Amino acid sequence: MSLAVRLGPLELRNPITTASGTFGYGLEFTDFVDLSAIGGLCTKGLSLNPHAGNAPPRICETPAGMLNAIGLQNVGVEAFLTEKLPKLRELSATVIANVWGDLEEDYVTVVEALENAEGIAAVELNISCPNVERGGMLFGNSPELTRSLVGKVRAATERPLIVKLSPNAPDLVESARAAREAGADILSLVNTFVGMAIDPETAKPRISFGTGGLSGPAIRPLAVRMVYQVHKALPDTPLMGIGGISDLSDVLEFLAAGATAVQVGTANFKDPGVSGRLVDELAAYCERKKTSVPQLIGRAHRVAAKVGGEAGAEG
Amino acid sequence: MKADHRATLLRRQTFSPGFFSVTFQCPELAAAILPGQFVMLDVPGRLRPYLRRAYSVADRNEAAGTVEFLVKTIGPGTAALEELPEGSPARLLGPLGNAFTIEDLPRGARVAIVAGGIGAAPFPLVLSALRSAGVAGDFYLGGRNARELSIRARFDGLVPGETILTSDDGSLGEKGFVTEALARRITAGALYARVFACGPMPMFAALARVVSESNIPSEFSTEAEMGCGFGACLGCVIPGTEKPFIVSCSEGPILSPEKIAWA
Repeated sequence: MSLAVRLGPLELRNPITTASGTFGYGLEFTDFVDLSAIGGLCTKGLSLNPHAGNAPPRICETPAGMLNAIGLQNVGVEAFLTEKLPKLRELSATVIANVWGDLEEDYVTVVEALENAEGIAAVELNISCPNVERGGMLFGNSPELTRSLVGKVRAATERPLIVKLSPNAPDLVESARAAREAGADILSLVNTFVGMAIDPETAKPRISFGTGGLSGPAIRPLAVRMVYQVHKALPDTPLMGIGGISDLSDVLEFLAAGATAVQVGTANFKDPGVSGRLVDELAAYCERKKTSVPQLIGRAHRVAAKVGGEAGAEG
Repeated sequence: MKADHRATLLRRQTFSPGFFSVTFQCPELAAAILPGQFVMLDVPGRLRPYLRRAYSVADRNEAAGTVEFLVKTIGPGTAALEELPEGSPARLLGPLGNAFTIEDLPRGARVAIVAGGIGAAPFPLVLSALRSAGVAGDFYLGGRNARELSIRARFDGLVPGETILTSDDGSLGEKGFVTEALARRITAGALYARVFACGPMPMFAALARVVSESNIPSEFSTEAEMGCGFGACLGCVIPGTEKPFIVSCSEGPILSPEKIAWA
């Protein structure tokens, strides 16, 4: 049975993809996952120049999740194109290139550098990283800046354009609308929540950046609520759901909330084979339940409409 | 090739409160592991700890299909391992990282093994490999106190050379730091072809000066909090001299001290 999904101009062989920053450049996972079997992979965020990232300590464990402030360490777009992408092509991976920058021009330059490369299925804009001093989340937290940035990038690429939204934005639905109106084909949500952990002995933050992005199962209900809200407000916008996805029931939950595809994140660290396994489990589920992925997308909204309630999602 | 192996806890041996070893049935890993390599251990079905924890493999028995880890209880990960009932399943992701360089040492060479506390963890396997290679090794084991040195029992009969114990409080062995004991012997004329070390960062910083002054090629098994263990999360970086950061799990964990930027 086909698990293929269509997100506007982007067709994926199945809805299971991996989230940027949790899957390296894909090549770190070849012992654990057949990259041609998953729906796609989002690369580590690419910048114009190689970026060293933040000083350690960069991560710490928190209840059912982790805080990170890696600071977008990456090899830069040129090394990605020459060293990583050819191998990903050989492995028949569906590559979603995640892009970030300090300034609007930086995003546009990286997207232009990617534009003629073979083997990139879509571009995902990171306007929601909480762990850099400039750029990143600053764009995502202002609908005006989101609109301006997405508009400029839209003009620079023919590829399917995904905008990754920040859960830290003051009004997520407004940000989603701004990104969509400026030309985003697809929205992915959510990036990490800004959090903090303090060592009780030393009273110092447990990661050097001070604050970090919270991810893992701890954030799942928050992310599900946000996907539900954005789908309700923008039912025609294809969404990729992200937030603590570790097993099949989590995938089904995000699909029900209105996501057309999902991105598996922090679980890749704990269980590097998880994404491939979820594809098999979703196929077996559809077989067993005599259902299909399209029937699973947005189910929570249809169920809520049928019972005439709001399922309490706004409460 | 690295893989996520199924394993079963066979037995636990306690040396003193909070210091113990665990032995798992895991034939694939027992056959594949090299001295100094590590695994990411997961006790399935738990949200605390959420992430896996990195453990150097202390020893293996290829015939029995077992691997052993030396552990000090520090946080939720090690506490979970201390309480895990025998017979419980676990997952061991590995082998990960690089190994100590032993094979190029000539027969009859002499090396120093320097361990700070639970930094002794990787060395039973290293000592066995040295013995097989006909290389002599003096084992320097330092700790805060006698309790921390209780793991010395695990090294009985393994050391192809002298064992030197130090404790910060003088409750066992020579009083002072393990690096000082090494420096004293080097000053007195001990010649080492190589130093293999594992321990906390302050010990490494002191040891880096000692081996640099006496020009001894050295390999330090570094420790940084790891999110994944295979180079994906980039959480475990160490400041470097040749580049801003070294990824401890995938470029190490064994690094030569001149590559590390000491604070």
